[in-house]
Order: sequence, then structure tokens, then C-alpha cells
Amino acid sequence: MIVKDAVCPFCGCLCDDIEVEVEDDRVVAVTNACELGTTKFMGEKRMKSPILRDGDRWKDITYDEAVQYAADMLLSAERPLLYGWSGTHGEAQCVGVHMAELVRGVIDNTSSVCHGPSILAIQEVGHPGCTLGVVKNRADLVIYWGSNPIDAHPRHLSRYTRYAEGFFLENAFRDRKVIVVDVRKTETASIADEFVRIKPGGDYAVLSALRAIVQGKTDTIPRTVAGVAREQLIRVANLCKSAKFGAVYFGLGLTMTRGKYKNIRNAIELVSELSRHTKFTISAMRGHYNVYGSNEVNTWMTGYPFGIDYSRGIAFYNPGETTAVDILARKECDAALIVGSDPAAHFPRKCLEHLADIPVVQLDPYPNATTAFCNVQIPVAVTGIDAEGTAYRMDGVPIRTRKVLSTDYPSDREVLSRMYALMREALER
Amino acid sequence: MKVTLALKPAARSFIPIEAESIVPKNFLDGTDLPVWRGNRELRLDEVFSVSVEGDADRTEDVEVVLSGETFRLKRVGEYMDGGRVTILGDIGMHCGNFMSGGTIEVRGNADGWLGREMAGGTIVCRGDAADYCAAGYRGGRKGMTGGTVEVFGRAGDFLAENIAGGTVIVHGDAGDMPGAEMRGGTLVVHGDCRRPGANMKGGSCYVYGTAQGMLPTFRKIGTVQHEGHTLIRFAGDIANRGKGNLFVKAYEYLD
Repeated sequence: MIVKDAVCPFCGCLCDDIEVEVEDDRVVAVTNACELGTTKFMGEKRMKSPILRDGDRWKDITYDEAVQYAADMLLSAERPLLYGWSGTHGEAQCVGVHMAELVRGVIDNTSSVCHGPSILAIQEVGHPGCTLGVVKNRADLVIYWGSNPIDAHPRHLSRYTRYAEGFFLENAFRDRKVIVVDVRKTETASIADEFVRIKPGGDYAVLSALRAIVQGKTDTIPRTVAGVAREQLIRVANLCKSAKFGAVYFGLGLTMTRGKYKNIRNAIELVSELSRHTKFTISAMRGHYNVYGSNEVNTWMTGYPFGIDYSRGIAFYNPGETTAVDILARKECDAALIVGSDPAAHFPRKCLEHLADIPVVQLDPYPNATTAFCNVQIPVAVTGIDAEGTAYRMDGVPIRTRKVLSTDYPSDREVLSRMYALMREALER
Repeated sequence: MKVTLALKPAARSFIPIEAESIVPKNFLDGTDLPVWRGNRELRLDEVFSVSVEGDADRTEDVEVVLSGETFRLKRVGEYMDGGRVTILGDIGMHCGNFMSGGTIEVRGNADGWLGREMAGGTIVCRGDAADYCAAGYRGGRKGMTGGTVEVFGRAGDFLAENIAGGTVIVHGDAGDMPGAEMRGGTLVVHGDCRRPGANMKGGSCYVYGTAQGMLPTFRKIGTVQHEGHTLIRFAGDIANRGKGNLFVKAYEYLD
């Protein structure tokens, strides 16, 4: 059987033109997807049933036992951490927020270690953004700043920018200019019309200099700024000003380097400045296929996009204090529920030391680095493969992922709803 | 009146305790106050050994002394408007939030957001202050609007971010981006720091040491004498409106 127009649940591009061939409840071929997406669709070696740590061995347990364990763990905790959420569908994220409020815990999603700084900047100065379709059809200048889509978002270039047709561009490949700004010559830099190489940590200074140049205050700028010659900065500023429609896409090279959210704020303020001369927009290259959704769900339910502390019964938000890395590094939680992410593969050692000391339950289809820190792991269906649900693309467009095959695994939403019901019952008793 | 609060050792010692009730004014009505450990509401005497000497009718006559593992205490002195709080050791985050009067003395180090959005009064920190000392809240446009914060050790990153009034003095070095988005008030760093005054549009920032990674968008005006130091005066940040004053002893660009 061939499933057409399947949605790829890998990166924030959320490509919705995938063809998946299924035989005997296994994916045997994938068309249109990039290598990353294909690997996810073809993924095998799933965990068979929930497991419980028993000394230095694992014991198979039932879903009921696993759900009961998680509910008891969360109810007895004084400050549980509910982390992850970007690798699951919006419906499960909703249940997660309800759970956090019920047990008075802290709920945080992976944006606190990726584009959280972008959101902090947006809270300061707003977000002049647009959908990917607008960029595809109109943009004649695209800037990739601190992001390397060839490796991380392979189809971004072919579907929306460098290699895409544009309705309002006569010859998109010729008319569309691409500028890449990075600290090293990435593969994306080698297909750019202009490559700006910045010294590590110099993004903020370069953005400030560009803002001043766009305002005509060129005299003050030193001859080089963070390794970039003033002449090149003036050339880039002129390219931007003479574009009909410019779009900036930034990645973790900007959000997670020195200055963090101040870099993004500066980039947004550069875009605002450029919009006095022409049309310019800026957007984040979101990583997980539904990390944008976790921000959306959290915001509409709690008022805040990530790092929400319910311990006092009301939502309190303060990244740097109520975010997972900070809480774990400072040993400020006493239990953790991990859903749809793999913190042990990404967090600093200090955080993992605390994760090893407290009870941890994880919902994940596969054994991963975090499994080593778990007391219980519950295998679930993979959204977009054997579970369906809503995800948000990197530009904020919600897309319903489809089920391409059927298995007996419950979805994240089903498992979390059972946990929630048990806890609610226990609290009402 | 002197209220002494000694933190009792706890089993789950790592869970932070939110104690915004520890404000001198509240002790005029006794010591029956709530504090929170994680999601559990506890009485003050469940967490502290409490002793009171003398009595008082006015907030100004109340002194609160905190001892023990006080680095776990958050929000001590929040909305404080008078009296005195002395912390013998280190203090946790958000000490002196929204403070409008009185004095807080931290004998040890202070964690993040010391004196956040402070409007008046005095905070003295004998040790180091962590990030966001005398800063604002996420997404807010105004941080500190009045009062004084003096840190005798070093300060972390984003010192006095969004400061709109009042005075901040750091005797040691400061981290990255002190006085970011500054729009008023005075910031003095006796040691070195990185990228002072980023995107500032008002106020005065003094660096008696070296400004590393100096931003390219500050216009040099000349040298001035200030409190016995010869400083180079800049106007900036010209990427913004450029109406702030930045004075540095020495500077290095990231060129």
C-alpha cells in the first residue's frame, strides 16, 4: 500500500508531500523525504513493552503498572519536572499542561535549549515574520544566519528558497540571492551568493554595525567588525536595502552563542530597520517537527511558551530559573517525566547527575540515552507513523500528521490521559 | 525588634524555598507566616528556628537576620518597603524584588535577579552577585527604576539590564552585557566587563577597567575626568537612538 501526502515528523519543515510504501505493517520505502525523514520513517528496533528498573536489570511490566508508577511518582513529588514535548503531537501536549497544573510541577519543552532565546527576544521587540509560502513566492533575498539547512533542514532550500520556483519571480534561481552568515564555511555557505564569515561570538557586533549602516551612520564603524570588513558590511546592507522582499532565517548559531536572546533581538531590530526601506521578515529555523506546537499549546493554555512553574498553583515563567537545564543543574526538582525528547543526549553532565539521583519516567518508542536514567520507560506510537495528531510547522502553520500504519502501541495522548485520570482520581479521594 | 531565622536542615535539601513573606513589615504582626517548599505550603517555624527579641511598632525598627543554608531561599525581601534584612550567608534568586525602601545586606553571594525591578531602598552584597543583578523581568521594558545596589564582589551577565533609574555599583568585574538596553540611571563597574551598554538609549555607564568586545556602534567623543579616573567618553548605542553615555578606562574591539 502506498500512502500519499504523508507528513514527515522529523524537522520543523514538516514536509507534507511524502509518499510512504507500507507492506505487512512495515514501512518499506519512502519517496520525496530527505535522508533524515526517510531514516525516521524506516526506524526499527522499537521497545516492545514498558520496562521497570529492577536493581541492575530491566523487568517487563504492563502499561497499567507503568502508568500507575508514573502517577504515584508525580503525586508524591514536591517539585516534579515535566520535560520534552517537542517530539509529540499537540493533543498530548495539552494533556501535559493539565498534568503540570494538577500536580503543581514545572513544565518545560525543548525550546529552552534551542529557540527559547528567540522567544525571549520576540517578547521584547515582536516578531516580523511570515509563512514559508510567502518567502517561496516573493523573496528575492534570503539570509541564513547561524543555520546550516543543507545538514539540518535539507528540504528548506528546495521547497522554499534557493531551488524553489516563485510565483512572483520570473527566474527564481537567478533572481533570488542567498547570503549565508556563519563562523565557518558550511555546505550551505558554498551555495550562497555572498558568505559573511564572523568570528565566534561576534554576531551581536555585526548586527549592531549593520543596523547603524542601514541608518547611514557608517563613519563610526571600525574597519573590521568581528572579522568582517566594513566594505563587506556595506555591500550586505546595500543588497538588503535593494531587495524587493528579504527573509532572514536564523538557527542555533545565533540563539545559543554569546549574547543569546540579545543576538535575536538585534537581528529583529535590523529587520525592523530594513523594513523602513523595503519589505523584510525574520523567522527561526525550528528543529523538532512540533517544537513550535509545544510553544503554541503552552502559550494558549498557560500564557507562557515554555518553562512554566505551577508549584504555587499559578503559572510563573522565568527562563534561567524555571527551565529544565537550570532546574536540574541546581537540583531543584525531585522527579522527572520525559516525553518526546532525549535530554540525556543533550544536557550538560551536571544536569544528568541530578537526573540519575531522582525517579524518572520516560515516554519514548525507542531506547535512547535517557533510558539509562529511567526507572520506567513506556513505549508509545510514533506521531506521523502509527499515531496521528496536530503539529506546527516552523512558521506557525498547524498541519495534521497522518497515520501511515497501524500498531498496538498507544499514543502519547492515550498514555498521558490515563496517567492524568489516575492522578485526578487519587487527588479527589 | 530583631527577628532571627535559622534555616533547619531538610531531608530534600535541594528543593528551593520561596519565602516572599520574609519582609520586615510582616513581623509586626507576629511570626505566623507561610513559606513554600516546591508545591507544599509550610509554616515559617517548620522551616526555620524562629526567635524574636524586643518588639516594634514601626517597620523601620524591624531587623530580620537569616542564617543557615540560605542559598535555597528565593524572593526574600520581595516588595519590602522598610526595615532591615541581613543574610549572614548566600541568598537565592529574586532577593529584594520590587523593593521600594529599607536595606538588605547579603554577607555572602547573591544568586540571580538580586533587586529585580527595584524602585527604592538599598541592597549591599558583600560577595558576588550572579546574572541579572538589578535587572528587569523577561520582556519588560523597565528594570530598576530607583534605589541603590552595591556589589563588592563580581557581577554576572546582564547586570542592570533595562535599568531606567537608580544607581548600581560593582566593585569587581562584571560579566557580559552590563547595562544592556539601558535607558536611565547610573551603572558603575570598577573592574573589567564585556560589551557594556549594548543598545543603550539613555543613562550613564562607567567602566573603570577595560571594556572587552567593545561594540562598534559607540561614537568616541573625547576624554573626561571622573572621580579621579581619566575615562574615554562615548555616545551610543548609535544602532539605537544613541543618547546614552558610556565612559571607559580602556577598550578592545572584537576586530
